[in-house]
Amino acid sequence: MAEKAERSVVEVEVPLDFTYNYRVGQYLERYIKGLGEKKILGVRCSGCSKVTVPPRNFCGACNRVMDEWVEVGPEGTVENYTIGHVKVERGAVEKLDEPRLLAMVKLEGATVPLLAEVKGMAASELENGLRVKAVFKDPVSDSLADLSHFEPVGQEVK
Amino acid sequence: MRKVAIVGQAQVNASDVGKSRERMLFDLCKGFYDGMGITRHDIDTFVLCSNDFAAGHTISNVFEDCPVGAYMKDETKVEADGVMAVTYALARIMSGLYDTALVVGNSQGGSVMRPYLVMDYTMSPTYDRQLGLLNELSSAALQARAYLDAYGLGDEVLDRIAARNLRNAAKNPDAFNGKADATPESVAGSDKLYEPLKQDHCFPFTDGACVLLLAGEEKAKELTDKPVWIRGVGDSLDSYYPERNLARSKSVKLAGERAFKMAGMNDPAGELDLVEVSAKFASQEPIICEGLGLFAEGSASDVAVRGLAEIDGAMPVSPSGGALGAYPLCAGGVTRVAECYKQLTGSAGDLQVADARTALAHGQDGLYLQHNAVMVVSTEEG
Ligand SMILES: [Zn+2]
Repeated sequence: MAEKAERSVVEVEVPLDFTYNYRVGQYLERYIKGLGEKKILGVRCSGCSKVTVPPRNFCGACNRVMDEWVEVGPEGTVENYTIGHVKVERGAVEKLDEPRLLAMVKLEGATVPLLAEVKGMAASELENGLRVKAVFKDPVSDSLADLSHFEPVGQEVK
Repeated sequence: MRKVAIVGQAQVNASDVGKSRERMLFDLCKGFYDGMGITRHDIDTFVLCSNDFAAGHTISNVFEDCPVGAYMKDETKVEADGVMAVTYALARIMSGLYDTALVVGNSQGGSVMRPYLVMDYTMSPTYDRQLGLLNELSSAALQARAYLDAYGLGDEVLDRIAARNLRNAAKNPDAFNGKADATPESVAGSDKLYEPLKQDHCFPFTDGACVLLLAGEEKAKELTDKPVWIRGVGDSLDSYYPERNLARSKSVKLAGERAFKMAGMNDPAGELDLVEVSAKFASQEPIICEGLGLFAEGSASDVAVRGLAEIDGAMPVSPSGGALGAYPLCAGGVTRVAECYKQLTGSAGDLQVADARTALAHGQDGLYLQHNAVMVVSTEEG
């Protein structure tokens, strides 16, 4: 007797479709407004003098509110980086056509590095110690995306 | 303090276990009870370990009670790494209220969901999730790069670490991602992800579950003639933010020191016969081991060249193949303790470390090794 193709009833898709409307909070709101004026704002801890960018409410080590606002950057130094040959999109790994450069940038005046995308250079030239500067979106959109990316500081500046 | 021992373990790991989470748990736990010659009524308290996002519904243990045997019993859940679940079970028995505790960890990241998404939902919703730069792979890559650059090491050391784990995993019947013929060259040839990480450096997406039975001193001696005593536990939670030097983990160091102190160990590197660490990426292994004080800082290349972490080396690291052989998310830490139990009861087969008497299990959770938990176990009662 010929075997019948088995009907597949193995899987069912179950989306998790919560949407959360988080408050951005006063700190990130002020940071985003600063980006709109092409300024990068951080906060300093009056206990240990650490300056975080983006600004954070609390210093864990000192257990206190960080409340001294300072402008940092727009230039900084690459102190760690990775070159992405893939991206992770909603948990799925997808290959990229062009590598994407990510760097932890220690902005002038900041203690904690900022993770950002670096453009305008070959992946092979990205290294620790490289001087980079912030590139802002124009016109601004009052969002985190207003700090678009970083690019190498020109040779003439060195 | 009341002495507590591990008296049995069972685990299942696969890329696709081919059954529902509940059926996977029932088959594992029922098989475990039958093998131990006990029933669910011999268990005083259940500590389940699973994750709501991994399960896809809140109260991830809501359907776990019947399959694991916890129906109408005393039951609680840990939604963190499994070493914390075992620690919780330990504390419950030490309280004197319970004589036996069954720890059951599980997830189905191989066939049901995408494990990297769970880490996405760990991240700051108003900042990191808005920017889309940070994910489980990019964060692990940045930490890997920080380690290599801090000590001037080449990327190939990661290939050597991964190859050792993959070869060991091939001999572990409880792992599924083993590669008997893995070499540093074969690992180096796997797909590039975020540099310096390649595919073979990463934990495999896993359907898995692990059961551990714990018992107080008197009961433990009734249940087995080879109890494995829990001698020390410790944990430490670092900041979410990468404000620390990612090449080192103070959190691992503190977790280890707390566990060693409780165990009364003055020379951990000398007293431990092996360690089972939750290195989800090959690059995390030296950071964890160095944090525990087992190897000198920045010594990964030397450790690899001299074979110190091999099964017959001075300090065997994850002889089971570790998280590269199987990693069922938060159940991963339960698995690491179970692998120590196998070693200390002489039941690790081809992976047996000779004369293993004292071992350490490590579990972790969060970005950049944010939370670390350590457990020291020994054949010696102490
Ligand atoms: Zn402070």
